[in-house]
Amino acid sequence: MGKSCQGGSLKLICGVALFASCAAGQWLNYPAPGIPRLPDGKPNLSAPVPRTPDGKPDLSGLWTNDADPLGQRPVERKPGDIVLTPQGKALQRPRENYFPGARCLPNILYLAVAPFKIFVSRGTVVMLYEHDTTFRQIFIDGRQLPKDPNPTFMGYSVGKWDGDTLEVDTSGFNDDELILPGPHSDALHIIERFRRRDFGHLEIQATINDPKIYAKPWTITVNSHLVPDTELLEYICNENEKDLKHMVESK
Amino acid sequence: MTPPFDLTDAPGGRLKVLCSLALIATCASGQWLNYPAPGILRLPDGRANLAAPAPKAANGKPDLSGVWTINYRPYNENIARDLKPGEILPWAEALTKQRQENLGKDDPSSVHCLPFGPRINFATDAHPLKIVQTPTLIVILGQDLTYRQIFLDGRDLPADPNPDFMGYSVGHWEGDTLVVTTAGYNDRTWLDYVGHPHTGSLRTIERFHREDFGHLEISETFDDPKAYARTWDVKVTGDLMPDSDLLEYVCNENEKDSAHMVGKASDIKAVDVPPEVLAKYAGVYSGTTRLGRPIRFEIFLSGRELWSSRDGAKQLLTPVSTTKFATPGGAQFEFIGENEQIVDLQLYNLAGDARLPRVREER
Repeated sequence: MGKSCQGGSLKLICGVALFASCAAGQWLNYPAPGIPRLPDGKPNLSAPVPRTPDGKPDLSGLWTNDADPLGQRPVERKPGDIVLTPQGKALQRPRENYFPGARCLPNILYLAVAPFKIFVSRGTVVMLYEHDTTFRQIFIDGRQLPKDPNPTFMGYSVGKWDGDTLEVDTSGFNDDELILPGPHSDALHIIERFRRRDFGHLEIQATINDPKIYAKPWTITVNSHLVPDTELLEYICNENEKDLKHMVESK
Repeated sequence: MTPPFDLTDAPGGRLKVLCSLALIATCASGQWLNYPAPGILRLPDGRANLAAPAPKAANGKPDLSGVWTINYRPYNENIARDLKPGEILPWAEALTKQRQENLGKDDPSSVHCLPFGPRINFATDAHPLKIVQTPTLIVILGQDLTYRQIFLDGRDLPADPNPDFMGYSVGHWEGDTLVVTTAGYNDRTWLDYVGHPHTGSLRTIERFHREDFGHLEISETFDDPKAYARTWDVKVTGDLMPDSDLLEYVCNENEKDSAHMVGKASDIKAVDVPPEVLAKYAGVYSGTTRLGRPIRFEIFLSGRELWSSRDGAKQLLTPVSTTKFATPGGAQFEFIGENEQIVDLQLYNLAGDARLPRVREER
């Protein structure tokens, strides 16, 4: 994301600062039921993967990322992983003023937006984000992706189990906003694979497939860990927003 | 986040909501919004049986899950409509008047795109909300992409909550009724469109009872002793929207209204219209809004003043010509005659205009 993420990262810092100053608040230290514990009362993060009544892995929990893959810490990618098509090259430009996060629009930087809470109910996986108190739904009730989706910021997500991995296909994004560290078109599909390795660890692999923009799909992997006995806070991008007018395009 | 036809709310909000509702209207036939969800009891013709018994969750509690909309929203515009004079503390009353004088341009949520806070609760919300229920956590998802969490795992409200827009909610079951107490709101949001304020001491108690498959009874108690002299309850009914889902409403998308919101309610200059002319306008006008919702106004004369009443909410109509009148919220009423008889009431409002025929109705 480099320079184009300045506004976003600035806001993120505020969010993190808030978190830091409030982490000692008593309501953030609620020992949640259902978490396996070590003799000293600490959560046993290497306990086996919990399962839902239907035997599938239960992805529920409050998670944060080991690293911020699309933000300040550059994700490790091999040279040549991301190859733009001519159309993609034409669309690549400094986008400071277009970055939706700078304008407090929803941006589902799926893997960068942590912490997030996953819970599952009646054929729907819901992901709640601390970032802007926003959410996404993943339908796992067998429905297909819509053929003619209503283009949205968050896209439309359907998921199915592939063994112990939840595979989620998302499309139906609107095309005028930046949700990736590069351009995208309305042909964008993001395939995510969620695998809970043990009680405390979740691996998310995301493959970005946008044949109009990228010559081949590319994949990033994020490792997340459980944040037990606490809760999401509120982070409202639009509250006291003063960044945007200071964000000028780089030459 | 506003009624489709609302005569006193913030113009910016109305404009945005208009877009959003228009989106619903144009997309309602979109195939992805017509997904026959599993687990819905159906009539022989395939439609959802909305009069079937309320479903139960695996733990035996009523299952409130579903997308719900409030079709009749008497409190969206004015949450305090049932309060008597003096029951709103003077500072809160004065602040509400000031916000109305500014025609709602300071509305933090519908104009400045901050979260709706307590105003997104069912009692005052105008958009569909989706309830997602698990035994220990209920989440309410909004079309503005915000959510509320309600903890049912037995925890208490925090003694010193972190003040935020959505508050901190805990719930428990009393028989078949879910009781949700919320505190920890910040004081930055309004309770309704006319701008009734609240403080950080606000506590809301919501009671949810799923009467049958298609109907959810909701009552909400407002308790804010720093702004209101007493607590009060409002009641609404949620209608299930089966086989559908939420759309996206993003206030901040292409926001261009707030810069154009100028003017004051007191800018309206009244002209003198004789009472015998005003008397000709008295009567009942009824029809539907552009979006098909029923709307009914009663116009009556009180002394030398013309007033409108809708669902019991009364507004003074200030004459700006012999046939045109302004409401305190900046909307305009025009009485249209034909052969010297008043036949129609034309409403001009940013949420969409409406022409309501005069109806012969015993008063």
